[in-house]
Formats: sequence, C-alpha cells, structure tokens
Amino acid sequence: MKITRREFIKCTAASSAFMAIGVPFSFAAAKDKNVDHWVKGVCRFCGTGCGVMVGVKDKKVVTVKGDPNNHNAGFLCLKGALMTPIIYSKDRVTEPLIRKNGKLVPASWNEAMDLVASKFKDAIKKDGPTAVGYYGSGQALTEETYLASKIFKAGLNSNNVEGNPRLCMASAVGGYVTTFGKDEPCGTYDDIDAATCLFIIGSNTSECHPILFKRIAARKQSDPNVKVIVVDPRKTNTARIADVHVAFKPGTDLALLNSMAYVIIQEELDNYRFHSKYVSFMDNKKNKLTFKDYQKFLEDYTPEKAEKITGVPAATIEKIAKIFAESSATTSLWCMGINQRIRGVWANNLISNLHLLTGHIGKPGATPFSLTGQPNACGGVRDTGGLAHLLPAGRLIKKKSHRNEVEKLWGLPQDSLNPKPGYHTMAMWSALAEGKLKALLVLCTNPAHSLPNLNKYVNGMKRKDTFIALIELFKDAETVKYADVVLPPAYWCEREGVYGCSERRYALVEKAIDPPGQCKPAVDILIDFAKRVGVDPKLVPYKNSADIWDEWRAVGRPTTYNFWGITRERLRKESGIKWPCPTEDHPGTDIRYVRGKDPNIPKDHPNKYHFYGKPDGKAVIWFRPYKAAAEEPDAQYPFVLTTGRVIDHWHTGTMTMKVPELRRSFPKAYVEVNKKDAKKMDIQNGDNVLLETRRDKMVFQARVSDVCRPGLVFVPWFDANLLINKLTYDAIDPGSKQPEFKICAVKVSKA
Amino acid sequence: MTLESKTQNGNRFKKRLIIALAGIAAFGISYFIYFNLAFPEVKCAAVKHLESPDTVSDCFECHIKATPKIAQDWYESKHGIMLVKCFVCHGQPDGKGSVPYAIDPDVDATCRKCHDPSIQKMEAKYGLEPKCNGCHPFHNNSLHHKAYVKSIAKKTVE
Repeated sequence: MKITRREFIKCTAASSAFMAIGVPFSFAAAKDKNVDHWVKGVCRFCGTGCGVMVGVKDKKVVTVKGDPNNHNAGFLCLKGALMTPIIYSKDRVTEPLIRKNGKLVPASWNEAMDLVASKFKDAIKKDGPTAVGYYGSGQALTEETYLASKIFKAGLNSNNVEGNPRLCMASAVGGYVTTFGKDEPCGTYDDIDAATCLFIIGSNTSECHPILFKRIAARKQSDPNVKVIVVDPRKTNTARIADVHVAFKPGTDLALLNSMAYVIIQEELDNYRFHSKYVSFMDNKKNKLTFKDYQKFLEDYTPEKAEKITGVPAATIEKIAKIFAESSATTSLWCMGINQRIRGVWANNLISNLHLLTGHIGKPGATPFSLTGQPNACGGVRDTGGLAHLLPAGRLIKKKSHRNEVEKLWGLPQDSLNPKPGYHTMAMWSALAEGKLKALLVLCTNPAHSLPNLNKYVNGMKRKDTFIALIELFKDAETVKYADVVLPPAYWCEREGVYGCSERRYALVEKAIDPPGQCKPAVDILIDFAKRVGVDPKLVPYKNSADIWDEWRAVGRPTTYNFWGITRERLRKESGIKWPCPTEDHPGTDIRYVRGKDPNIPKDHPNKYHFYGKPDGKAVIWFRPYKAAAEEPDAQYPFVLTTGRVIDHWHTGTMTMKVPELRRSFPKAYVEVNKKDAKKMDIQNGDNVLLETRRDKMVFQARVSDVCRPGLVFVPWFDANLLINKLTYDAIDPGSKQPEFKICAVKVSKA
Repeated sequence: MTLESKTQNGNRFKKRLIIALAGIAAFGISYFIYFNLAFPEVKCAAVKHLESPDTVSDCFECHIKATPKIAQDWYESKHGIMLVKCFVCHGQPDGKGSVPYAIDPDVDATCRKCHDPSIQKMEAKYGLEPKCNGCHPFHNNSLHHKAYVKSIAKKTVE
C-alpha cells in the first residue's frame, strides 16, 4: 500500500482527534480559565517591535502571546515570551526616594517633586537655562519624549535634550539624512519576504532581533536560491544560515564596501539608467562630481588593495559584490556594528551607495534597512526630535524657518526658541562632570552602565554640586547609586502610549493593569514637573497621553513624516500602522520615495523615483574614504575588544535579570576568545582572563570558540557586576557624535 | 510444587535481584566515573541544577554531552536556529522558574505564546487535542528537526 505524506498526516490527525474525544481537557476552556481578557501591546525589548497580547486574570498579568495581526504574526522570541516576571519584580521602586546623608530614603511625591523643581529652578536662576538638561531614552513612550522635549526646549528654553539613541542610532540618522535627505528607512520588514539576497553587515540579527532573523531564516528556507551574506568579524548564530560569511578585520568595512562598489562597476552590474537619473555624486567637501570621478575614487579600493586592508581575500569580495548586484532584489540590514563607530555615518552612506549604484531600492525586497536597537528609538526619539539638535518631525534647531514653524505650532512668540543646539550626549555627561550642567532629569535609561569609558563620566555623576533626578523602575539599576532623587514610573503595560519600531510602524501599548504602590505614568510625572518648575501651563494642557498624541499628530502633519491618519482610535483597532499616513483611510506606506507608493509624491509626478528630501530630488552617492578606528591595536594593546548583546539579555539587564530563566542562562559576562589565540596564550575554557585597555582592567571567564576572528575578543555588556564599559573608548563620530563602542585596543592575558 | 522448590525459587529470586541491583549499581558507578573522566568540565552537572542554580549556564552546553541526541535534535531544529532555548518551554529543573518545569510542556503555558494562531487552526480542523506533541513530536519531526535539510525535501514529496 502506498501512502503519500499528506494522506498519512490526515490519517494520524483524524485518529488522534478520534482518540481525543472523551478527554475532558479543552483548549477553549483552558483559555477562559487562565485568562480573563487579552490586551494589545508591543514588546518592551528590542527595535523589532513585535506585537504582544497581554493576558490578564484578576487584574494581574499572567501570560503573554504574540499578536497575530502585527508584523511578527504571533511569534515571540525567548525574551518576549518570558517577560511577565519583570512586572512583579521585588526590586521595583514603588515610592519616591530622596537621598539624605548619602542614603536613599522614602518620601512623598510632593516632597520629592518640590525638591526636583527647586533644584532645577535654582540652576536656571544661577547659570541660565543651559545649566539644566534632560536625558531620555529610546524605550520611553513617544508621548513622554515629545513632552519632555517640549518642556525643555519651549518651556525652559534649554536645548539640552538628549537620550540614549545618540549611543545607538545617531549614525544611522546621519547616514539617511546625508544620502536621502530624510531620516528613517525607505522600506519595511516586508522586504525581507521578497528579497533574493540579504546582505547583513554589522548586525547579529539572530540574537539582537530574533523575530526578524526568524523571518530571514524562513525566507531562506522557502527558497534555497535566496542568498544570505553575513559580514561580521564574529561568526555569530546569524552566520549559521549564511551562504557566505565574511570575517573582515574589525573597523575596515569602509574599505570593503568601497571595494564592492568597485567590483560592481567593473563587472558592469551597476544600474546606469537609475543612477544617471536619480543620483548625484558628492565628495566629503560636498562638491558635486560625476560618475567618472566616482570610478576614479574607487580605484584605491580594488579587491587586491582592499584585501590588504580588510584581510578578506579579493575573490571573496568579488563574490559577495556579484551576489549583491546580480540578485533580483537585495535588502541590506545593519545595526550597531556600523553605527557605533567614529565613521558610522560614512559606513551608513557606503551601504546606501551600493543600493543606489545597483538600483536595489524602492522595489519590493530591495532596500537599505537600518535596524534599531530600542523599541521606540525611531518613533519616540528620532521622529519627535528628542535630541539636542532636533525639533519634531525632522526639523532642525539651527534652521530659522524650522524653528519659526514649530513656534507657531506650539503657540510661542516668534524667535523665542533657543537657536543654539544643546549638548550632545557625550558633551552632556562631560558638562555634568565639569560642573557646567547643574541639574539633569533622566528617564528610562541607565547611563551609569551604558556610557563608554564609564569611570570618566561616573566621577561626574558622583559630584555633590550637581543634581540628578532619575525616573527609574528598579532599585538595583546602576544609575540609582548616583541619583539624588528616584521617581517610580509605571511600567510597560501599566500605562498607555505609542511605540514606533524600525519599520516606521507606530503601534499602541495599551494599559492592562494598574501600577503598583505609588508608581505613576512618566507622562504624569513630566506634567507635574513642568507645573512645579514654572513652565507656562498653556504649553502643557494635557490630561493624558492621548492628548499629547493628538498634538504630536498635528505637529508632524505639515512635514513629509505626515501621520495625521494614525489616530488613537485606529491604533486601538489596528496592530500598528506605517507612516506616512496622511488620512484616516490611508493604509500606511511600505515604500518611500516612489510615485504611487509614497503619499508625499503627487500621482502625476514625472519621475518614478523622487528623493524629496534633497532639493534636486536626487539621492547622493558619497565618496567616503577608508578611515581606521580611533584606537587601533598596537604592540602594547594587540587585540581588538568589541561588545554586544547575547540573546538572553537586553541592554543593561535590569529587566532580563529579573526573569529566572534568563538570569540563569547567562548569569555573568564572559570574554569570547578565538581558539588559536587561546592556544597561544594557554587559555582554556573557563579560565580567568585579564582584559586591560588604556582606561581600566577587569577579569572575565573565558569562552574559547571560533566565533571571534583571531585578534578579536568579545564581551557582552549586560552584566552590572562586570561593567565592560569601563574599558570601552569614548571617541565619537564627528558627524553623528555617536561613540565608538565597537572597537578599542586591549591587552589579553591569563589571570 | 514442594516447599523446598518454593524456597529454592525464593532464593533464586533473591539472588537474581541482588545480581540485578549490583549490576545497576555497577553501571551507575561506571557511568558516573566515565562521565567525570570523559567530561571533566561538566562534573555531574545534575548536582549543579540543585546546588547553585544561579551559577549554572545555558542548558545546552551540558546537555549536548549528557543527552546528546535530544540536544543535537534541538540544535538542528527550527527552535535551535531561532535560539528558542530549552528553558523557554521546559522551565527550570528546580521548578523556580517563571515557566512551569515540565518534560512535556503545557500547551497554554508555553506553546500558545507563539503558536496560538496555528493551535486555533488545528482546533477548528481536528477538534480538541490535549497536547501538540501528539502529532508534532517536539524535537524529532520534520516540523522542528533538521529544519533546513527537510525543508527542501518537503517540496519534492508533495
């Protein structure tokens, strides 16, 4: 008897269904028993922004599941699936705390807020508005960042509004703005499903954006002809599904990317029709040049020359360049490996160059796509202008017309906004260390753990004459040690607000439960702060976060960010909408800069592509020469140290360490050493290894493997007991001001 | 049957029992010694589960040696490629995790977190099923196991 697979499955299913009759257990009954109702939200962790349904029973969160209607189609990664215990952690701050005689003691909201307000008022009175600042986060809600930015920039006339996205996304913003004239990716996650080549560079997607990696892996699995290229000095889990893994010498990717462009032109795989019409060529001095000049510029990056710089065989460079260009649709994905560099903006430009050269843009499956690290860095901080040089919706502080436009929208007198950009993040923490910045409000981030070259900046936080008010969830967060006042916020699903993920998708995190103790939504704390510190009440007329959202919609409306159609009601019904979305019946936009797809381009526009961020409508191919890292290895410090995440932990681990499974899976940071290097130094798995940089030294347990390329060591940065950021270097990109976390020189020895 | 033969039988039974027990003990001891000698870094990892649960590391690292077949099956499965690690479904051996410890994971406590749409589809199609793994054995069927190898074959079968 022959039986096909399908028949076999049918038979088995039918017979087991038959057997199940009479079994008292039923899914439907169990579902009702375990959960009263489900509340829609977005995951609290990475920038993927997966939809989550929060299961509530007896006013308590009991479980979570993936939102089937969001882009993640119901799936969650291990962190997302295990996030319930964080809400009920014993380490939650549940009442305001004030530092008295060096110790944090409980206080009333009134007392704490009065203290904060008086310190801010004193600082402004004594040293002017630039003596106060706000340091926010890509994890705060859109409403929170928009409000804080407005309170400081409009209410207090201080442009010292920064946030941790400066440490993770600033170079991507710089890259997009210089190449296309507008921030944020032109494609979406859907492009992964249509791509025939996925070029992943400087991203361990598998551990840092697991659900996107699932999508990439599913794409690869559905069609064996789909090519995956992983370019990373570490052979990470992402490389497991790669057709080609390129482990170049850390910090030489600029040469590698230029060399790929050289090969593409040499092999005549460039799309001349596209780049002759829609692209302009520019060098670092912004001189307009030609395609011929570009060819000449690239002569320094023949595969043979690039081999000497990058350590990648010329044949491999040729191979990946050909795969990239010959595929019918190529999507590039990159993250911190490209951004956290002193030439992060340039590296971003060079990836976009390859797409503009080959025309792999504006088609399904073809896009240069920057991945974000935090759930609301894009929507919350980049879009609302929560940085020292920005105003809402891509407007710039230094542009008078932009300022005037915002002044009108905010009901301010003309020319009242401070025209001088504030301190960028590293300058802000330096200013605090030097005593120039007197009072700082920190929301939803852990800078005493996450800044590079920590010792330098922590000393500043310890100063007695400066004041740090911290809105923080957990008592054991590193920054709490240096805070003068700690205010307890409501967590994730304890209040309502919008998150905007990597693909320009705005989605609502709805309120599922009440916050514990005296915890309050950060929006309420900020409104209270504004009132007490003397901000004009007309600037903060909000009752709740929905009011702020409506104002923010209006502020974004006159720009190409236009998301007027994404109303609160729609967000409640739908699982996220991608902007631009100008009207309430608009479905949202998948592909930007293309006629018929992007609502910002008139339907009768003569050109198919229109890069409206640039005055001539043309995107830019930049001539960006290779430049080495700020601190290259030398005889004294012969290794390169890089840092990153493990899948089990997120950022500074304040949340993931509260989940027993995740904590036990990776209880401690370690150092990853290549087998060959380990053999030379006689290091075994589990041995103690001393890492020493020019800034500090620390002992880690070794994990010997072939993940790192020889000459490279890796340490994850989640561990509060082993703060690797004491060793990292704080050199910054001159354009984006983002520090080079990813590369510094280190001495490695057996301890 | 005589009384003598009965006692004889009893004696024989006792003897056999002793032999069997000795055999089990010998096997146990030799397995223990083998394990300690062959994998010095693992050192009876089972003890670790209970002794200092906060210092144990990834389950997989030890289980690839202790239960190689199961661990390898997971590694090659879709869950392995996506790094949906052991504890996401099985919880913690001392039961102090946030997921209930179970060799056979509970559908509502684990599977539903990601596979709710599929579970509902299966319910509608085949009626009520107490467990997913009745039809989809977790570690060793084509749904999970050797995700990449089998996926190509899947197409040619139909």
